[in-house]
Amino acid sequence: MLKAHQKKSVLVLGGGIAGLQAAIDLGNLGFHVYLVERSPSVGGRMAQLDKTFPTNDCSICILSPKMNECSSHPNITLWTYSELIKIEGNIGAFRAKIKRKSRYIIEDLCVGCMQCVEECIYKKPKFPNEFDLGLSKRKPIYKPFPQAVPPLVLIDAKTCIQFKTGNCEQNCAKACERHAIDFNQKEEITDLKIGAVVVATGFDMLDTSGIEEYGACQIPNVVTGLEFERLLSASGPTTGHVLRPSDNHAPKKIAFIQCVGSRDIRNHTYCSGVCCMHATKEAILANEHDREVMSTIFYTDIRAAGKTFQEYVTRAKKEYSVSYIRSRPAFVKEDENTGDLYVTYEETTTREKRSDAFDMVVLCQALEPSGTDGLSEILGFSLDAHGFIQIPNPLSAPVDTTRPGVLAVGFATGPRDIPESVVLASAAAGRVAELLRS
Amino acid sequence: MSSENKSKAYQPKILVFACNWCSYAGADMAGVSRLQMPPNCRVIRVMCSARVRPEMILSALFKGIDAVLVLGCHPGDCHYSEGNYYTRRRGIILKKLFDAFGMMQERFQIRWISAAEGVRFSETIREMVERVARLGPNPLGKDHGRFTP
Amino acid sequence: MGKVRIGVFICHCGSNIGGFINIHNVLEYTRGLPLVKHTEDNLYTCSDGGLSSIKEKITEHNLNRVIVAACTPRTHEALFRRACEEVGLNRYLFEFVNIREHCSWIHMNEPEAATEKAMELIRLGVMKAAHLVPLEAASTQVKPATLIIGGGASGLSAAVNLANQGFDVHIVEQTGKLGGLASRLWKLMPGDRLAHEFVEPLVNTVKKSKHIKIYLNSIVKEISGFIGEFNIEVKTPQGKKDFSVGTVIVATGARELTPIGLYHHGELQGVLTQLELEQMLKRGRKRFRNIVFINCAGARTPDREYCGRLCCATSIKNARYLREISPSSSVTVLQRDVMAFGTEFELEYRRAQDAGVRFIRYEPDRPPEVIGEKKVSSVRVYHTLSGEEIMLPASMVVLTTPLIPNEGAAELSRMLKVPIDRYNFFLEAHLKLRPVEFATDGVYIAGAARFPVDIREAVAQGIAAAAKAAAPMTAGEVILEATIARTEPLLCSGCGNCEMVCPFAAVEVRKDDKIQNKSFVNAVLCKGCGACTAVCPNGAIQQLGFTDHQIFSMIETMAFEDGSDVF
Repeated sequence: MLKAHQKKSVLVLGGGIAGLQAAIDLGNLGFHVYLVERSPSVGGRMAQLDKTFPTNDCSICILSPKMNECSSHPNITLWTYSELIKIEGNIGAFRAKIKRKSRYIIEDLCVGCMQCVEECIYKKPKFPNEFDLGLSKRKPIYKPFPQAVPPLVLIDAKTCIQFKTGNCEQNCAKACERHAIDFNQKEEITDLKIGAVVVATGFDMLDTSGIEEYGACQIPNVVTGLEFERLLSASGPTTGHVLRPSDNHAPKKIAFIQCVGSRDIRNHTYCSGVCCMHATKEAILANEHDREVMSTIFYTDIRAAGKTFQEYVTRAKKEYSVSYIRSRPAFVKEDENTGDLYVTYEETTTREKRSDAFDMVVLCQALEPSGTDGLSEILGFSLDAHGFIQIPNPLSAPVDTTRPGVLAVGFATGPRDIPESVVLASAAAGRVAELLRS
Repeated sequence: MSSENKSKAYQPKILVFACNWCSYAGADMAGVSRLQMPPNCRVIRVMCSARVRPEMILSALFKGIDAVLVLGCHPGDCHYSEGNYYTRRRGIILKKLFDAFGMMQERFQIRWISAAEGVRFSETIREMVERVARLGPNPLGKDHGRFTP
Repeated sequence: MGKVRIGVFICHCGSNIGGFINIHNVLEYTRGLPLVKHTEDNLYTCSDGGLSSIKEKITEHNLNRVIVAACTPRTHEALFRRACEEVGLNRYLFEFVNIREHCSWIHMNEPEAATEKAMELIRLGVMKAAHLVPLEAASTQVKPATLIIGGGASGLSAAVNLANQGFDVHIVEQTGKLGGLASRLWKLMPGDRLAHEFVEPLVNTVKKSKHIKIYLNSIVKEISGFIGEFNIEVKTPQGKKDFSVGTVIVATGARELTPIGLYHHGELQGVLTQLELEQMLKRGRKRFRNIVFINCAGARTPDREYCGRLCCATSIKNARYLREISPSSSVTVLQRDVMAFGTEFELEYRRAQDAGVRFIRYEPDRPPEVIGEKKVSSVRVYHTLSGEEIMLPASMVVLTTPLIPNEGAAELSRMLKVPIDRYNFFLEAHLKLRPVEFATDGVYIAGAARFPVDIREAVAQGIAAAAKAAAPMTAGEVILEATIARTEPLLCSGCGNCEMVCPFAAVEVRKDDKIQNKSFVNAVLCKGCGACTAVCPNGAIQQLGFTDHQIFSMIETMAFEDGSDVF
């Protein structure tokens, strides 16, 4: 293993693919890395994907080795369920305060066997599972997802009986032979001395409840792109069988509506970059699972500008029963008796107005930078007009923010797909090596 | 290993070669998910399915093991870029060989299983066990003739 | 085998294994196996107590092979290997047997069968362990120097980053100057800065650096070696130059497709490419009449399926500039999907529309027609969204063509033994997760030589490639795989099967010192997949740690259910 040559440490915020890659590259360059991830496991959005375009690689299969590498790399300290709360100082000499939240599990003792979850006083899971976007349920004590790194459980104090009433049998603690459960665990604040920061905090989805014309959050068979992705996933709520929410029937006709909230003066004027390919992928996968599935993608421009992306779209049309209609539909209505949906639209290339029936509608909604307002306050860098982290000199310094020593990569800086995020992450590692060279 | 246990019922024995990066991880995934399956398989770990030479498959079957399953990454996903293509080609030739022998055709199978496909692993094992139970003991094995299928 | 003394440590893993498998019976069975000199069980073998016990027992019982029967090797193998090493036992004399994920957890309702299976899995492990030999992972030195082929935006950015980290850099550029495609542009978007304001400072930084040697009007003639030490021969105007480097970055960029004959380019006056337009704008031309851009000229066709990625942005940029320079001109962009992805490009798309640029959609089966005699006069196009054919007066037609790889890509790919695709773009190690690396260690790719990129991406890829190259150079050495292939020359017949199947070009059949053809494994390049071992008719080449002997022994003992014969 490469030994740490340099003595400076680097803080990487965010354990999605960009953060993981930056941490690994920095570790390989001899820096000591603190990889701080807000949620209980690393993996980010890529862990929630079934497959990735255009290779249709199993997402978690190519991501897991990176997650494991970060957890076992001698130069990387992985702190999940942790957040940056304050930072002072300058490049080369920052002082950061990290809050390590309480899982109520002693990390060194837990082996992830999940006996505790089995024995929890809740016989059946009852609370929305965050990883599955609420499409499945979990108990108050749970493992975020099967391949979570670190492979530990955690207790959600908001739903756990012990925390809510002070009065629980604590079956979980009794079941744990390692005595790893500690209801009295306190959160910790740790101070770190670091030389540079790499921000890789990724994206969230636009809240579609305001988009009434498509029935988002109202009509059961209207789902979002990432929700559909969970339905497609072998490890998801329906074990990879796409079943529509209203009646658990397998949909045969699926509509994808692009640019929901993107390229839209009411929500975000920017283009979210990855949705055209994302929808194409989901349509291909849905047909791979069930050859009778026919998908229609309602688009404005098909943005397939990456390497082998055009070929992917062509294959979707030729081999996977995917059709593309240039239109931004006016509205989606539901037949409440059957759960079937009607999409009303104008086919702009023929100027025909139509109302077509579908079994399910997938809204490819805008993707927004995650938590950048708070980060901007703590880290003191500027955001652009859309809330993404501003890169003032993109041509000469593509990962530098407005604060020296603080770099930003991935979707936090603007819509990026996985290869672009990985490139920026490696570029950040190179930049740190350049900046902190002693 | 007591032979008294064996006389209770025919228990097929299946040799499984699993590649480290995909199928072995898929088998682990099945374990982590507690997917229950029949206890008939024995996994030998290799780095790549391409490591499995035809003589190993022949040796196993001709020494009486009831079935051999070679598991690899999905084509295109091989950690060593092309190993599984060699596995696939060998499989085609071995099938022709078994046809020429007039035996063992169904006792050798290749399946592609990714690291996330715990369910697929368990289904593959279950399917293989059912197939071999239906075929009966390996004609060249020591259990041949001792059980009626 | 010598005097093999095996220690077997069986883990309960709390009740995860112990709750389903009869550990007592397994212990008894294991004690009866040949060559097993010590057996014990532990509640948690991976705990400090378990690890200490292993180390103690190795010393106490003079064990020279260790087996842990527990969970999956994918979690704790490294931990146990380290424990062995700490008491002087070679880490490759350790074998892991999975009796949890592959046994207790999947046969929870059949404890007897699970116990029998655990016994057999341990017997297989004992068989493998008996045949293990100590292995050493070799290492190779890495020279702290890089060759960068190509002096454009990505090559120069990589060079500056590496030089700033203290590495020596050699840039070989085939033209007479640095700057690449970027230096031929007028203004850059977003920001509307002059291109030379970006290019010149970068070129000056490179020229001033003491760490960077520049070879202009030069080409790489030959490259040999592998990561750590590549030997480079460069043909320069001053003659041949030789040097060695630890890593190589390919940054040979791309050129604009010149669409001879397409839309009468080269036949009618006034039909230009984007770069030809940029030259005009650089020379200060201000008078324009009506201009029509035709996007996807030569791209997204059956012969060239890819999208040029940056061409829409280029047409958006230049169209708006023309409107600003000549507000009385009508500027129309004929497009098939506007690839203005992300934040900045989408914003610029709106800006161009606000500035009065018309965007008209056409379909590939009804391409526009450029009309004129000697000089272009108009363009006829079927306006998809209105369903009408329209005539656009045009004194200039700008064809937006995609970037194509530079000449010499095929030759370079042969020299470096790195792959190219059907368009002659270089093929990276993995499209998603390793976009700036090749499968060959020590060689990296950045910029448009891989696929069209805009300047920002070219620079980011250059720095990313530099970061990748810097890793082995910073460490000064690369630790190689231990479970690699090795040839026993006495058994080798020189048939060449191994060389044929190796995915990494790590095996070579060549004459040895007795002038016989033998296979040689390059330990630096071998990744330990075992493909060669499987095709050797004589068993001459073997993958250490996964030898034929080891695996066939396991098959034997599985078939015959009995340890003694096979030992």
